[in-house]
Order: sequence, then C-alpha cells, then structure tokens
Amino acid sequence: MSCANSLSVDGGGEFTFRSRVKKRLDNRPELFTLFLIVALSVFVGSVNRDFLQVSTFFDLARSSTVIGLFALGVFVILAAGGIDLSFTAIAALSMYSVTKLVVSYFPEAPMLLVFLAAASGGALLGLINGLLVHGLKAPSMIVTIGTQYLFRGFLLSFVGTVWVLSLPDKMEAFGKIALFSFVSKQGTHAMLPAFVLILVFASLLTWWILNRTLIGKAIFAIGGSLPIAERLGYNVRAVHIFIFTYTGALAGIAGMIHVCSNRLANPFDLVGSEIDVIAAVVLGGARITGGTGTVPGTLLGVVLVVLINNVLIMAGVPSTWQRVIVGAFILLAGALFLLRRKR
Amino acid sequence: MKDKPKLGSVFLETRGIHKRFGGVHALRGVSITIRCGEIYHLLGENGCGKSTLIKIISGAQPPDEGCLVIDGNSYQALTPIESLALGVETVYQDLSLIPNLTVAENVALSEQLVRASGRLAKVLDRAALRETSRRALSAVNLAVTDDFLDTVVSNLPLAVRQLIAIARAIATKARLVIMDEPTTSLTRMEVENLVRVVNELRKDGVAVLFVTHKLDECYAIGGQVIIFRDGQCVAQDDIQALSKIDLSRLMTGKHLDGGRYRKAQPAEQVLLDVRKLGCESYFSDVTFQLKVGEILGITGLMDSGRNELAMTLAGVIAASGGTMTLGGEQVVMESPADAIRYRIGYVPEDRLGEGLFLDKPIRDNIISAILDRLLGAFGMLDRAKSTTLANDIVSQLQIATPGVDLPVQSLSGGNQQRVLIGRWLTIAPRLLVLHGPTVGVDVGSKDTIYRSIQDLAQQGLGVIIISDDLPEILQNCDRVLVMRRGKIRADVLPEIVAEDQLYQAMIADETKECQ
Repeated sequence: MSCANSLSVDGGGEFTFRSRVKKRLDNRPELFTLFLIVALSVFVGSVNRDFLQVSTFFDLARSSTVIGLFALGVFVILAAGGIDLSFTAIAALSMYSVTKLVVSYFPEAPMLLVFLAAASGGALLGLINGLLVHGLKAPSMIVTIGTQYLFRGFLLSFVGTVWVLSLPDKMEAFGKIALFSFVSKQGTHAMLPAFVLILVFASLLTWWILNRTLIGKAIFAIGGSLPIAERLGYNVRAVHIFIFTYTGALAGIAGMIHVCSNRLANPFDLVGSEIDVIAAVVLGGARITGGTGTVPGTLLGVVLVVLINNVLIMAGVPSTWQRVIVGAFILLAGALFLLRRKR
Repeated sequence: MKDKPKLGSVFLETRGIHKRFGGVHALRGVSITIRCGEIYHLLGENGCGKSTLIKIISGAQPPDEGCLVIDGNSYQALTPIESLALGVETVYQDLSLIPNLTVAENVALSEQLVRASGRLAKVLDRAALRETSRRALSAVNLAVTDDFLDTVVSNLPLAVRQLIAIARAIATKARLVIMDEPTTSLTRMEVENLVRVVNELRKDGVAVLFVTHKLDECYAIGGQVIIFRDGQCVAQDDIQALSKIDLSRLMTGKHLDGGRYRKAQPAEQVLLDVRKLGCESYFSDVTFQLKVGEILGITGLMDSGRNELAMTLAGVIAASGGTMTLGGEQVVMESPADAIRYRIGYVPEDRLGEGLFLDKPIRDNIISAILDRLLGAFGMLDRAKSTTLANDIVSQLQIATPGVDLPVQSLSGGNQQRVLIGRWLTIAPRLLVLHGPTVGVDVGSKDTIYRSIQDLAQQGLGVIIISDDLPEILQNCDRVLVMRRGKIRADVLPEIVAEDQLYQAMIADETKECQ
C-alpha cells in the first residue's frame, strides 16, 4: 500500500466501533427524539392505563396535523439556514380571509377550491417574505418578525376581529370526515379525521423535494454555507423564494384545517404558537444554524411536543408543568447535540 | 464532453482585462494564455490582482474591460455556472465544499447542476450521482465505499477534503483546475499526494493553475510561472528558467537575497526554562531553555504535537504536567488572560479566525490586550491615548495603512500579521510565541516580518517560532527543535543543517512505515 492509500484510510475518519456509534448519532439525532417519545409513553402508560388505547393515538394524530404542517415548513426554511416567525400570522390571515370570503360570497365552494385559495393566499404572503429576505439581504428572523406584525395587523385592522361561528356546511362536514371511527368500551366516540392524510401527503412531498430534487440539495447547500453555495452556482434567489413560498402555502393549508377542525374561525388564534413549532423542529434534530435535519425527525419532534402538551395531563402532571418539560427537553437535546459535536 | 483535449492546445486566454474597485485599479490589461495539460503557478504579492483574475475567470465577478476566450469562443463575462460548464473549476482556499453535505454530494452535485444549466426544478439522478462520484474519487485515490460516499465532509481531515475538491473538478470534467493556495495547511506527505494527483490530471489534458506563495513547491512541481505585480502580468516563463531570486525580484520589484536574517547573538541569561512539559496525549517530556534575545524554532509535522505545544506555551490550553519558569518566576496558566499577565504574547496560526477582529479598526485591534491601562475619566477608553499608541506601533512595524481607523480587513495579509504582532508589543512582552507567522503571506511582506522579528529579539525578547516553513525557521532562528510524535527528537543548529536534513528529521518514523 502506498502512502496515498494510508492517507485516505486514516483520513476517512478512523472507522472504529466508537466512531461508528458516534456517526450513527451524528447522522440520526432523531433517534434521541424517538427515545424521549418512547420513554414518555412508557411513563404515562404505566401511570394511566387509559393512555394505551387507539383513541389516544387518534387524538394525537388530530392534534399533530396543524403543528405538523407548520413544522414541515419551518424545517425547510431552517434547513436553508433561515428562520420563519411569521408562518402563524400567514396561517391566521389566510384562513380567516378565505373563510370570510367563502361564507359571504360562495358558501357552496368545494373544499378543494377552499384549500387552493388558502394555500395560494399563504404562498403569496410567503413570497413576500422570500422577496424581502433576498432583496434586503437581511436576516430572515428580522424580516419575519416584521411581517408577522404586518400580516397580523392587517388581519385585525382590515379583515376583521369577529369570530366566524357558523361555517359553510362543506367546511363543517370536512372536519368530521373520518378515516376510522368506533365507539370505545367506555362509550366515547373515537375517530381519526381524514385531514390527517394531508399531513401524510405533505410530509411525503417535503421529503421528496428535499431528498430527490436538485432544489432540495440546494436548500441544504445554502444552509451549510451560503457564500460557498453561491460560488458553486446555486441560485440563492430561487431557493429563498421557494422555501418561503412553500412554507406560506403549508401554513395556509394548516390554517384552513385548524378552522375546519375547530368549526370556527377565530382571527386571534394560532399566532403565539410559533415557539412550540420551532421547538418541535429543533427537538427533531434540525440545527438552528441550518443545513441539517430530516423530515422523519421533524415529525418525531412534532409528536414529542404534542405528546407533552396533550397526554402528560393523563399522568397527573399539571398542565403548567408542560412548559417546564418542553424547556427541559430542549436544553437536554441541545446539550446532547452540542456534546456530540465537540467530542 | 468532447474528445480528450490535445496537449498543448490553447484552452483559455484572457485578453486585456481591466478591473477597478472604486479608486483601485486592480487589474491593468492582463493577457495570459492557458494551454491544455500544462501546470501553471500564479505568483505575486498580496494585492497584486491574482485573486481578482481568478474571480473573473471563475465567473464570480465581471471584468470592466477585455474578454475571455475559451475554446476559441469569446466571452464578455461569465456566471459561475457558465464558467463551470465551460470546464473551469476553481478550488478556493476554503475548498468550496459544503460542510453538511456528503462526500458523494459534494463531488457530483455540481455536475448535475451544470447539466441542468443551473435550473433547480429537476429531479436528482441519484444513480448517476453515485456513479460519477465513484469514478471521480477513484481517480484521486480515495475510497469508493458506500460508507465513505455518505460521510459528511466536515468530519474529514483537510487533506482528504482537498482531494474531494479535486474529485469534484474531475466529476465536472474540468479542463482547467484553479487551486488557491492548496498546500498552505498540508503536511509534506499530503502535498506529495496532491502533486501526484495533479500530475495524473495533467496527463489527461487538464490544465492546472496554482495560486501560491510557496516557491519551493513551484520548483518541485515544475511547469510555467505567471508573475503578477501591481495588477499586471510581468512575466510568464518556464519555472526552471528562473531562479528563486529572479522570482522574488519579479514579484516585488526589489532585490531580496533569501539569506539568513539572523545576525545577532542571544545573551547568556536564561529567560524561559521549560521542564518536562506535557499536555494530555499531544506531547510530553518537553524540556528546553530559551535565552534572553534568542529566537528558537520548533518544527514538526502537523500531528507531531507542535501546534499543541505552541498553544500550551501561550496559555491557550493548559499543561497537564511539567513546569515553566519565565525570568525566574514559575508560570501557571489556565487561559490566555494569564499569559498576558506574565507578558507572553501569542500570534496564532489562524490569524483571521483566532487573532484579529477583522471588521474593527486597526487601533482597536492593537490596543485590545491592554484596555485596562487606557482607561480615562469615568472608566471610559481614552481615545487620544489609544490613537497615539496605535500610531506608534504602526510606524514601528512599518504597517502600510493610511490610518488606524481603517478596519483590519482592508490590509494585506502581511500587514494584518504585523497588526497582530503589534498588539503584543503593547504589553511589553518578555516572550513572543509566533505560530506560523507568515502563513499565507507574500515574499515581500515576509521580508518585513522577519526584520521585525529580528529587531524584537535584539531588544531582549525571547521569541519562539513554531512553523513548518523550513526556510523560515532556518533563516531566522538560533536553534531548531524538531518534534515527532509528541516528543522533541532533535535539537539542531540552523547554520549547519540543510533543509532536507531537517525534513528527514521531521518524518523519520513515517518514512519507515510507508515502505
């Protein structure tokens, strides 16, 4: 063997057992998220037997849909090294405007059209974010804090502040379409809503875009190093516009699902839950500095946050403690990921 | 891809290229010719326009006047993607690798991007991605296992990353590979491997352009030299036709002889006494003495422990055993702040990352170690005093700048380095630890830096230079310690040792292993 080969082998990163384990965790930080989910489920399940039944799972899936759609969008932006704080405002503005439009002018509108309108509205607002971030060369955090106020202010000043309580029939019905439903032994009605499929579809689409297309790789490249990606000829403008528009569209759809699921449109909803979503994405293994993370990891992060917010109460943990636990988990995950990198 | 290019046919020409930045005329009518299968070394002092020309060829910036001719077609300006598509691959000093992507992606994504003409709405051809990266990686003697293809590049050592960047050039079927100071942080053995790979490329008709400051390597590699001075190409010739002195003269316009700088003798009095110093597994049993006014060189391969020794001597990392006595006083350091208290100055190897506040004024950089002594009324910084002090340092070290209010990043590499040395002069140092003092610095500035170092020793400072630039060590030091595998293995006098003997001492064990 010549020196050249020995160089590449010991350069290849000492493929010993320890480094393999480290590499596994390096590449798959979401394994830690999964571990937390399992640990939490075992804990709640051992305290309260009611946890381990199908209806709990249905409830989790239902609660995960909106935050899951948000999280996918945030993850895409985070992967490119940006951040979005305006997505809830986008969701609120598009869901409330579209609902009001449908109620006043087109109560018979088919659901596909309603979702299309919400998605386009969200995409348009996201496009504004993308153009601003790219045009101003400003940090996306500043830009989206600005647009969050702007979008929300616009909603409350010009569109309305009154709850829309009676939705058109089709929207009411949409929230009740069930994939499965049954009456449990205790006599409660449990059902898995069909809109969960939208999250499934959006996850598959996002995964496909990120892993199977050139723009997906460009997103990670820009998240890894914007100046280098630019030098290598990646179109940074196209990526910025794409990620914010895509996230806006997802937020619009999420907002509409929120309306149909709660059977009312409240313009004061959603804004304020950004940190929950960002926490979920970070717990799913995406670094806040960009360039890393996976769709399955993001979904696991969502499940973890939803689990904490919804089922800890079943184990007798007071609801005020949920925040403490989310915070502790984030610190724990953060510390672990940091240690992992230093070693 | 066309047929294998004919060796010696013209691939690229620049014709009368001009570039201005504000008032600075960076390129003044540059015309050079690059032929297939040739190796070129682009030489010149910092700020002579080398990087600007590279940026124009690689499409990062448009020229103001003039044009590029590639394969007989004339272009006013190129975009990065066009330049890649025409076969120009530029490997910048940071290697332009995306740290979070895998080896396979770094090697082969560019090729797919070029194939899609830069449009991103394309499905990845994953089979082609792996196939291309395997082919390219095997051409540079790297592993082609799935495990390696899926390794994230930020986990790999520099020498391997360098080869990956070259593999990317092979994957995009580059006809001209431009490498910006590729060997700055490589050990000799890694450089040899790099050169071997480059020679393979050359045989396939690829032209290679090195941008470098290391003249010895240019001679070892061979080929043509293109010399820049003040934005103009002053010579293009076979390197063997020019002596080192010719090269320095062409680059600087001055006559530099490359002889020994060290003229003075150290005093008899011992300044620093290091006994059995050790630091974890990096090095151990390091014992030496440094006299007042002595310049001591420490060299060794990258992993010999020299870097860690430098940092330990400067208090950046704490020693785990042994003692240091400075001027009779026992030195115990936990942090660089302790080192300042003992009046030990440290110029780190990575001056940009660890030494300087690049976007801050020269003055602020110079005074940053002694802020507490410059406080005026109400604990505010005394601005007038700071400026006077900074001006003194600037004139003492002959730092070329119109004023101390300018940010450090506006200076050339050599002047930046002098700002850093100047900072330590403010603490009236007893000991100065210089870690790679002229990394990435051109010949002319090296000369000035060496003269400054000699002056400082003359004034009674102890100076330790840790470097793998052997001519630098030999020209400047009274004594040289050679480290290997964490221990000092040789103590030699530079006056009687030649460069290759010193190198043999550095690699003694390694050569045995390789055979």
